[in-house]
Amino acid sequence: MKNADFVDRLSLAEMGENRCGTVAQIEGDSRFISRIVSIGLTPGSAFTLLKNDGRSPVLVFCRDTVIAVNHKESSQIFVKVEL
Amino acid sequence: MSEIKTIALLGQPNSGKSTLFNNLTGLHQRVGNWPGKTVEQAEGSFVFDGVTYRVVDLPGSYGLSANSEEEVVTRDYIQSGKADLVCILVDASQLERSLYMLADFVGIRMPVMLVLNMMDVAEAAGKKIDASAIEKRLGVPVLGFSAAESARYPEFFKKMVSAIKTPICLDSGSLREELVGEKSNGEDVVSRIEAALGDFEYGVCEKIWIAEKLLEKDKLICGVVNESLPFARKNAIDAILDSEEGRDGGILTGEAKYRWVSKIVRESATPKSIEKVFSKWDRIATHHIKGKFFAFGIMVVSLIACMILAFPGIGIGFGLLPVLESAVQRAGDALGVWPVVISFIRLVLIGGTCITVCMMSFIFSIIFVFRILEEIGYMARFSYAFDSWLSRLGLQGKAIMPLFSGIGCTAGAVCGTRVLDTRGQRLLALVLLWAIPCGSKVAVVLFLASTFFGSAAPLFGIGYVALIFASFYLSSRLFGKKLVPQNERVGMIMELPPYHKPHWKMIAAMVGRSTWGIFKKALKMILMVAALFWALSYAGDGNVENTLLYKIGNAIEPVTMIFGMRWELFVSYLGGMFSKEASLGIMSTLFNHTGEAFSLVTRVAASENLGDVLANTISKPEALAFLFASMFNVPCVLAMGTTYREAGSVKWLCTIMGYYVALSLGLGFVGYHIGLLIF
Repeated sequence: MKNADFVDRLSLAEMGENRCGTVAQIEGDSRFISRIVSIGLTPGSAFTLLKNDGRSPVLVFCRDTVIAVNHKESSQIFVKVEL
Repeated sequence: MSEIKTIALLGQPNSGKSTLFNNLTGLHQRVGNWPGKTVEQAEGSFVFDGVTYRVVDLPGSYGLSANSEEEVVTRDYIQSGKADLVCILVDASQLERSLYMLADFVGIRMPVMLVLNMMDVAEAAGKKIDASAIEKRLGVPVLGFSAAESARYPEFFKKMVSAIKTPICLDSGSLREELVGEKSNGEDVVSRIEAALGDFEYGVCEKIWIAEKLLEKDKLICGVVNESLPFARKNAIDAILDSEEGRDGGILTGEAKYRWVSKIVRESATPKSIEKVFSKWDRIATHHIKGKFFAFGIMVVSLIACMILAFPGIGIGFGLLPVLESAVQRAGDALGVWPVVISFIRLVLIGGTCITVCMMSFIFSIIFVFRILEEIGYMARFSYAFDSWLSRLGLQGKAIMPLFSGIGCTAGAVCGTRVLDTRGQRLLALVLLWAIPCGSKVAVVLFLASTFFGSAAPLFGIGYVALIFASFYLSSRLFGKKLVPQNERVGMIMELPPYHKPHWKMIAAMVGRSTWGIFKKALKMILMVAALFWALSYAGDGNVENTLLYKIGNAIEPVTMIFGMRWELFVSYLGGMFSKEASLGIMSTLFNHTGEAFSLVTRVAASENLGDVLANTISKPEALAFLFASMFNVPCVLAMGTTYREAGSVKWLCTIMGYYVALSLGLGFVGYHIGLLIF
């Protein structure tokens, strides 16, 4: 089971505000991946989650940039959250 | 014959590309279409040291994948090899992220110059960026720059001239190391694909670039490789790609590219506090309820600012009109000039110019206010706040701004659609925008409704709003699929750029240039239409029955009556296409016989008893027809002009016009026949 890897990992959509983390895995078609990679999110990228109200696009701060990702798509990005 | 060199500007959105383009080319630019595409092509030129430089502004994109039409156009142009130099712009204040574009360019054998733009912003944020160190590592010319500061342009020209003189391409060796990783025996996926490609050649693209794009499942490259490789080799490549189980090719190349970038720039990173990046303001601006109220507040303030800015121009235009007219009349009378000449000068030349000045003042103020909002960085916040609403119509969130300013002036708002990112988005916004009534249209519709239907007028107001929203639905169904294809309607992934201080001089120069450009075209167009209408409506003896318009009107009345419009009303409807005031002015002349001749440009105020006369002459079904037709009539002559400019094609202008003529006459038809049943 692939999901076993994610016991201690969350998707971006489930992450709390003002927490720091790193991107663990990105899932989706090649189009989605190329868009998300070209804007600066790749596995291993450290970021801070600025805003997640459960409906509006999620805002993350990564590579000196505030990036907005639609809420639905943000559940395809899995993260490791710093404690 | 002087030498001509071509420079292509490549950069991500918000990299300051358009500022550089505008400052380089000034008034020498033209906007058209890429042949066969709905993508805007901006080209300009400038002369430096006796050499003419052609500047091609490529559509902004985050990378070189072929995901959207814009990106395809960008890539096609680069691969065509037409440019003598590709100037890649990156945002120095977000260097690591924006250098991704450069990393994506590695493997394309084209001469490159890297411009680290917005050095001033980076320095203000405490970043130390050593352009010459980056130049040493990359081996291509690198310039630390700030496109908004005119004092820095000599450095740009110097670098550019030497970059063209000694063209250097990026070396793919260091990126290859990152892609290959630790395996050095040729067993890695990139080397295996390269080997399988064999002697395959694809223009200026190296095999390593082809391999990257194959890993990223780039549709165009996959297609080209599929078509041109023999079956066995194609299968070998497929097998290699399939063997990468679990590992996504796009992630693999993406990680390698960012590793490559981080070795190029070892930034003296200054960790910013979260409050600085995401201020209290932004917390409000991005709140799902407060953010919308906040944005509405900004819109209302912007609209008021536009009106205040437009006021002097409108005052001058309307103020000068009677003064100049009577002066010409007196001078003409005194000199004994033919009345037909005086009439032409007054009604066409003076009237046309004055009305152009009035109409242009609102366009100027909208361009100005929009430019400021964009420069500050607020425009992207609109996108964030309204994306969920407008994405249903197929539009980006920031389309709310031009749509809203349509209440002020359609022609100006049309210019405001420039803020949208793709031409498809812009065209769709244009279509919707024409349904939004400007202040003058609202005034005309309310005047007609209250004249004919008295206390029921508010009902028409509500019905009008409902019809506008219904037309949005219809337009997005009719045009949306073609202009914004379903596969481009992906959830929002975008950058919220940091707030910048506006560079006033630069804004003033850019706004001045575009306003002047529009003014010249608008004046030509308005004078032409005014002259045509004047010729149709001129009668030497002032008798309406001796005009061409009267004869044509009477001849086609049987047709126009299908839509419930007698010829006088139909001519007023046509006049409404010129301006809303013209529509009332013509009615005043035709029904009330005030004013000596009916003209589009002379401001024949609707005379006081126009309402009574109309109510007595026109039947209720006819009134209903005219009212509905007026609601969705073509906005005005200048809106046509600016739409032509933004759409960049006669075909689209005619399509939008045809759509609204059909819509308004169709509604008129329905209104008339319902009216016949009721009244």
